[in-house]
Amino acid sequence: MTDVHVLGIRHHGPGSARSVAEALATLRPDLVLIEGPPELDQVVRLVSDPAMVPPVAALIYAADQPRLASFYPLAEFSPEWVAFRWAASTGTPARTVDLPAANSFALHIAATPAEAPASPEAPDLPDPAEEDAAVEDAEPAAPRQQPYRPDAIGMLAQAAGYSDAERWWEDAVEHRIADPLERFAAITEAIAEIRAVDDRPADAPDVVENNRREAAMRRLLRAAMREGHARIAVVCGAYHAPALVPADFPPAAADNKVLAGLPKTKVAVTWVPWTSDRLRLQTGYGAGVTAPGWYQHLFAHWTANSTNDVATTWLVRVAQTLRRERLDASTASVVEASRMANALAAVRGRPSPGLAELDDAAQAVLCDGSSLPLALVHRELTVGHDLGTVPDSAPTVPLAADLAATQRRLRLQPSALEELLTIDLRKPTQLARSVLLHRLALLGVSWGTPADTGRTKGTFKEAWTLRWQPELAVAVVDASRYGTTIAAAAATCVAERAQVAGSLTDLSELLASCLLADLPDGIRAVVSVLAERTAVQQDVVPLLETIAPLARTCRYGNVRGVDVTGVQRILDATVVRACVGLPTACAGLDDAAATAMRRAIDSAQYGLSLLPELSLDDWHRALAAAAGSDRIHGSVAGRATRLLMDAGLVERDEVAARLSRRLSIATPAPEAAAWLDGLLSGDAVLLIHDQRLLQLVDDWVAGVRDEVFDDVLPLLRRTFSAFSRPERREIGEQVSRGCGPSRGPGETTLDMRGAGPAIRTMAGYLGWEAIA
Amino acid sequence: MTDAQTAAPEILRAHAETAYADELQALAAVDDRPRPPSWQLSPWAVATYILGGGLPDGTQVSPKYLGSARLVEIAVASLATDRGLLLLGVPGTAKTWLGEHLAAAISGTSKLVVQGTAGTPEEALRYGWNYARLLADGPSRAALVAGPVMRAMESGSLVRVEELTRIPSDVQDSLITIMSEKTLPIPELNAEVQAIKGFNVIATANNRDKGVNDLSSALRRRFNTVVLPLPDSLDQEVEIVTTRVRSLGAALELPADLAALSEIRRVVTVMRELRAGLTQDQRTTLKSPSATLSTAEAISVMTNGLSLAAHFGDGSVRAEDVAASLVGAVVKDPVQDRVIWQEYLETVVRNRPEWKDLYRACRDLETAN
Repeated sequence: MTDVHVLGIRHHGPGSARSVAEALATLRPDLVLIEGPPELDQVVRLVSDPAMVPPVAALIYAADQPRLASFYPLAEFSPEWVAFRWAASTGTPARTVDLPAANSFALHIAATPAEAPASPEAPDLPDPAEEDAAVEDAEPAAPRQQPYRPDAIGMLAQAAGYSDAERWWEDAVEHRIADPLERFAAITEAIAEIRAVDDRPADAPDVVENNRREAAMRRLLRAAMREGHARIAVVCGAYHAPALVPADFPPAAADNKVLAGLPKTKVAVTWVPWTSDRLRLQTGYGAGVTAPGWYQHLFAHWTANSTNDVATTWLVRVAQTLRRERLDASTASVVEASRMANALAAVRGRPSPGLAELDDAAQAVLCDGSSLPLALVHRELTVGHDLGTVPDSAPTVPLAADLAATQRRLRLQPSALEELLTIDLRKPTQLARSVLLHRLALLGVSWGTPADTGRTKGTFKEAWTLRWQPELAVAVVDASRYGTTIAAAAATCVAERAQVAGSLTDLSELLASCLLADLPDGIRAVVSVLAERTAVQQDVVPLLETIAPLARTCRYGNVRGVDVTGVQRILDATVVRACVGLPTACAGLDDAAATAMRRAIDSAQYGLSLLPELSLDDWHRALAAAAGSDRIHGSVAGRATRLLMDAGLVERDEVAARLSRRLSIATPAPEAAAWLDGLLSGDAVLLIHDQRLLQLVDDWVAGVRDEVFDDVLPLLRRTFSAFSRPERREIGEQVSRGCGPSRGPGETTLDMRGAGPAIRTMAGYLGWEAIA
Repeated sequence: MTDAQTAAPEILRAHAETAYADELQALAAVDDRPRPPSWQLSPWAVATYILGGGLPDGTQVSPKYLGSARLVEIAVASLATDRGLLLLGVPGTAKTWLGEHLAAAISGTSKLVVQGTAGTPEEALRYGWNYARLLADGPSRAALVAGPVMRAMESGSLVRVEELTRIPSDVQDSLITIMSEKTLPIPELNAEVQAIKGFNVIATANNRDKGVNDLSSALRRRFNTVVLPLPDSLDQEVEIVTTRVRSLGAALELPADLAALSEIRRVVTVMRELRAGLTQDQRTTLKSPSATLSTAEAISVMTNGLSLAAHFGDGSVRAEDVAASLVGAVVKDPVQDRVIWQEYLETVVRNRPEWKDLYRACRDLETAN
């Protein structure tokens, strides 16, 4: 008869972890079963690899839909990790028992509509502590009913008046019951009581799910018992413990019935590094622990069998953290803080200080009552910045391996901390880093986000904010369907996106990012799509908007050694077609369309100015046609006039004449204001230095009728508000001086008679004599 | 605690330990938890006394401090340790009030108090001399006049130091020996007074005043700091003001009724809006006047209004009764604050139809000036 011991634990509970270690050492089972999808068996052996450093997470994903993924994070203080490690160190076989992920994923797919894979969620996850991280996705996941997954031990602790379940475990379980096996027996009994009062209906979705999982666990346990092991230890969430006691098993047939005919899908398993930040409750993955750093501390303290007080050693670390940030924290204060924490625990009627008391004590004693330093302690210590590592031998997709190799080559190690990377594109290795980050961005692996380079005008500098988040592992797996190396995958991804791109603008932006990501293949793919699309594109605005990105590609593609003749060809064709279409396209526009057109013209002008070798004659002719016609919307015509004037192709007199004509009484005032806006917006220098122009504008404003003035005032204000304050003041002063050429002092007529007495007095002071 | 003289009706304001003697007695009766040396109550009972609650014997303890229970627990726990308690906050956040009740509950007396001023001499913190005795008999213990701190050390009670940061720095620092060595040397007699267990210091300081003498870091680390915040929510603040005004009104024998809760809510709203520089609906930003518009100011505005209504009105508080003291509380600087107040009046008060009476009352005051 097999001897089965069920160890009901609290996921990520250091106290449970310690008791599990003791229980396993006493029990010396010849098989350890640990809660978790049985697929994990394939990778369990890696736990003993020295390169495996927690926090890590087992990642299970559906092979054909990598976005559908579950994480099983393990920290050093997780009981499951302790059990795996114990088994590995003693050579005891260890297996995982739960509903296979193959089934739970398939159930999830079946239960959600077709677009579901976008928001994967915890297809199975047991209790609060085991979770599946919903992979962050662009579209917000539909608000999901949080399943009932009680932290059973946490509930027991709360009932006993503890704020910290781990301190309860220590006080109520460990100190009271010496034998670890009896501890677990007592827990199982207590949980059985809790489960007995559960009054949820049998068909509630989470009850069904839980039954299914426990049936699967029992089935695997029965199979293990049939193998003839003498002693089996089962490590599972405390909530499941009563269901796994063989004496109380329901008939095997009942379990088989529950599990019969479940759908299946193909899954893959691997390990990924995890961060302590992700272990936290708040970061949105099902459940976790609020203070991984504190748990780590508790666990390390217990395993070291330290005789020091756990609260005091924690406060010492708080003081050290504060000192590192150059905040005073003397040893005497630590002593006081420790007393304070004990006194607080007494006031609150708790047998020993928990994290809440330690935080309050640290704030009152070490931080002068201010909560700011405490927030720092929380970030640095209570949560921590640990990032685990997994051995290279962990099964992985080729793309991830390529990424790891590239990271090593470029000395860019992923870190859980946010760091700022400044890149000088003139240096080859640094350029390679930039290229890698751009390629990852194209693949949707948002490891780096572009940051502000600061006040530099140089184009050789790039700044990135880097932060490795564990979910990125899923993004990498997801991207692996595009290819096996970063470069190839990025190129394929770009080609695919080019095919489905909605507009010319999207395409040209894609083209520009290809350039940054150094993807000649990608550029070719985008260019061929672009050529097709521009050929059939009738609309002038998108054509105009394509010019700038294309021109940028031509200009900087040359710099980066990309072959741009294809792009050049498209650009030439686009410019010609845009120029031909422009005058007609400008006719009959309403206000909104005119604004879009004006923006497109500006953008095209900017693009064309990038390429000095391009002949602009066609462009200028098109502009002149637009500017010269009175039927074209004022905003566009004004802008065209301005661009021509800047290019020196229209005389000032001509502009003044047009202005006067456009602003004359016959033109409706809003139309006139729009023209003025097109002409003047962007740069006030014209008005400041061209007195005649200013005079014209001023006369027009002064001349419009009152009711018309009310209409145009907002339009004018919009134009002028774009100017900077000093520019506005300068214009205002010129207008108030009367606009005309400022008169010198010589022309002033002086009233000599009135000034006489003053002059005489002044002369007297100076010792002169005034005549006259 | 049942002093014959304090029970006499002519006392204007009874000490906390007198006013709440019955509650303290009831707490002491049910309190079976361990008490630190010389404490009249256990820390738990002290926290209950401050925060209020029901006792097993049916006594209802009224809450003295409405706010975060966490802060009160930290304050009580601080006093059970080696360090003093420093209550920090802007004026009117119940620092002194909390200190008084803590002293009353823990030591049974809140009378040992040193009021800090710019002119507080060292003698106030240490001891003085009875000069007649000194001249007649020479230095002796009989000629020594013990200050509050010294008496607290001898009796193992709490001493309160009000407005610690107003005291000149050199005088402040004489507290260092007292708090770290728990002894007060008397070099003239070649003697010292050693504190009995239970002695500790509650100091209050406000972090808003200009020209305060900042604590030296040596003294600062003899204190645990608890920062008392302004009330979080409108409802909480209204509750505080109502409770306090009612008890003050009873003490001052003002007959007016406080049925007009809406008046309190209005005054508190004005104070909060001006303090935060934002209206309650988060729609309009405002300028903040120079005055600290704390809860205590709201209490005094309401008490004033109550008094006006009782003596010159019909007994119920109306907008006209609070308007004068409201303006007085807000406008501390006659030039800047007046502009801010008028802006507030015109842009906010005027646009609230249900505040028409307040607007008119305030406008009338303006024109009367």
